[in-house]
Amino acid sequence: MQQRWAAYGGRSLFVLLSAVPIVAGVSYALLYSLGLTGVMAEGFTLAHWQEILGDAAFWRTLGFSLYVAAVSILIALGLSLALVLRSPQAFTKGELSFFIYLPLSIPAIVMAFFIFQLLGKGGWLSRVSHQLGLISALEQFPDWVNDNYGIGIIVAHVIMATPFFTIFFANLYQNERLGEYLHLAATLGANGRQRVFRVAVPVLLRRGLATVFLYFMFVMGSYEIPLLVGSQSVQMVSVRTIQRLQRYNLGDIPEAYAISVAYTVLVVVLLSGLLWYNRKQMGRT
Amino acid sequence: MLDIKNINKKYKGEAVLQDLSFTLKAHEMLSILGRSGSGKTTLLKVLAGLETADRGQLLLDGQDLSPVPANQRGIVYLYQEALLFPHLDVFENVAFGLRLRHRPEAEIKKKVNALLQRLELPEQARKMPEQLSGGQRQRVAFGRALIIEPRVLLLDEPFGALDTETRRSMQQLLKRVSKDLGLTAIFVTHDLKEAMLMGDRLGMMQGGQLKIYGSRAEFIADESTGAREEARFWTDLHDLKLTK
Repeated sequence: MQQRWAAYGGRSLFVLLSAVPIVAGVSYALLYSLGLTGVMAEGFTLAHWQEILGDAAFWRTLGFSLYVAAVSILIALGLSLALVLRSPQAFTKGELSFFIYLPLSIPAIVMAFFIFQLLGKGGWLSRVSHQLGLISALEQFPDWVNDNYGIGIIVAHVIMATPFFTIFFANLYQNERLGEYLHLAATLGANGRQRVFRVAVPVLLRRGLATVFLYFMFVMGSYEIPLLVGSQSVQMVSVRTIQRLQRYNLGDIPEAYAISVAYTVLVVVLLSGLLWYNRKQMGRT
Repeated sequence: MLDIKNINKKYKGEAVLQDLSFTLKAHEMLSILGRSGSGKTTLLKVLAGLETADRGQLLLDGQDLSPVPANQRGIVYLYQEALLFPHLDVFENVAFGLRLRHRPEAEIKKKVNALLQRLELPEQARKMPEQLSGGQRQRVAFGRALIIEPRVLLLDEPFGALDTETRRSMQQLLKRVSKDLGLTAIFVTHDLKEAMLMGDRLGMMQGGQLKIYGSRAEFIADESTGAREEARFWTDLHDLKLTK
């Protein structure tokens, strides 16, 4: 009986701490976007939703966020898988295992500042290029920060995500006994490339898909990095939402809330897809 | 024929294989009995090309195997656990070696289905590894190895993780399939009865050295194999029953 109450208590605390604030926040945002609450509320209206859904900039923002997250994660995955498969033991013990944790401990805003210092027109790379005679003036250095392709944002996220995935895959490598699978595949006739693409990558990604997906969502919703090194003309979702919320025009606030609700719906749809895929996998096993 | 001459291997200064020599005829199964740490697994890994010997020569049908990488030796190494690829179903696990060799789809289907039939697994073709019992998994692992018609099959305590009943049926199955397909194999085990049951010839590994016996009688006569002690135990038990 006592155990049952303890279980109920645990669940209630979990719901109270995680679900309630999110549901409350999204509900408030939804009501605000529908004109049912807030300082400018004049009763139910779909005008704010029509405004953002008909705005090409909103869809560009959403597409840009998806693009940045997809490219960052793909590069980080490629790098981390290459590192782990090249030296599987190096990241679980020894000096490298310590150094690989360093980028993880750097806050996003510091990383963004570092990237700005590194890739900006007046940054280190630009100055080194100038000193080496590769460019005749600092202005000639390509736009790698605050650019429309999100290069600075992608580089910052890749630097942060690669160590994370490296540690994650190095541990999976041990837990899934990947070394033995690779040996077995070799004796069955698999060459190096086949061992990587037919065994290592599918085994690691199958086990790590949920984590990769959650990191993808994290990058998509990131704020500090795109705020500092992102472009003003093509913004990521969080930056666009916060800027609209903080404008002097109070009429923009319901639209900012509508963007945040639309983004939440997208996240829920993607998460449901992941859940469905996991269930399908479970059903097969 | 597999011809092993004076193989030596050291780990951190400690000799694991010492001047190990033996021959294995085609279509023959050699059982090697040995305790944990006797060097059995290292021997198999050296033969498979997963470890390199410090000294010695490995010849397969006259070909020196030393410079040949594991994926080109045609020697398949099977672990104690089935190690089925978790992202592939039974059919694809068995078809793995053929897909690596880019065989035509029709040939893959024909060969895999025939082998699944032989291994009594036709209904399991589309199941994932986690849906199978321990014995079924081990049968799929055999199928995956046999489909590529290996020159030599190395079995490292393949039934060690199975329960007694499943182990017995798997021993019979392997014996039958081995005879039907004319396999050349080395079967390593620490189980005396299993070694005697599976091998056409018998060997004993101790402290990195391998002794191959000329006959079954010679193996039983050697006290170090434990066969006589086992026989005495059962005789004593039998006599005790009769006198009671």
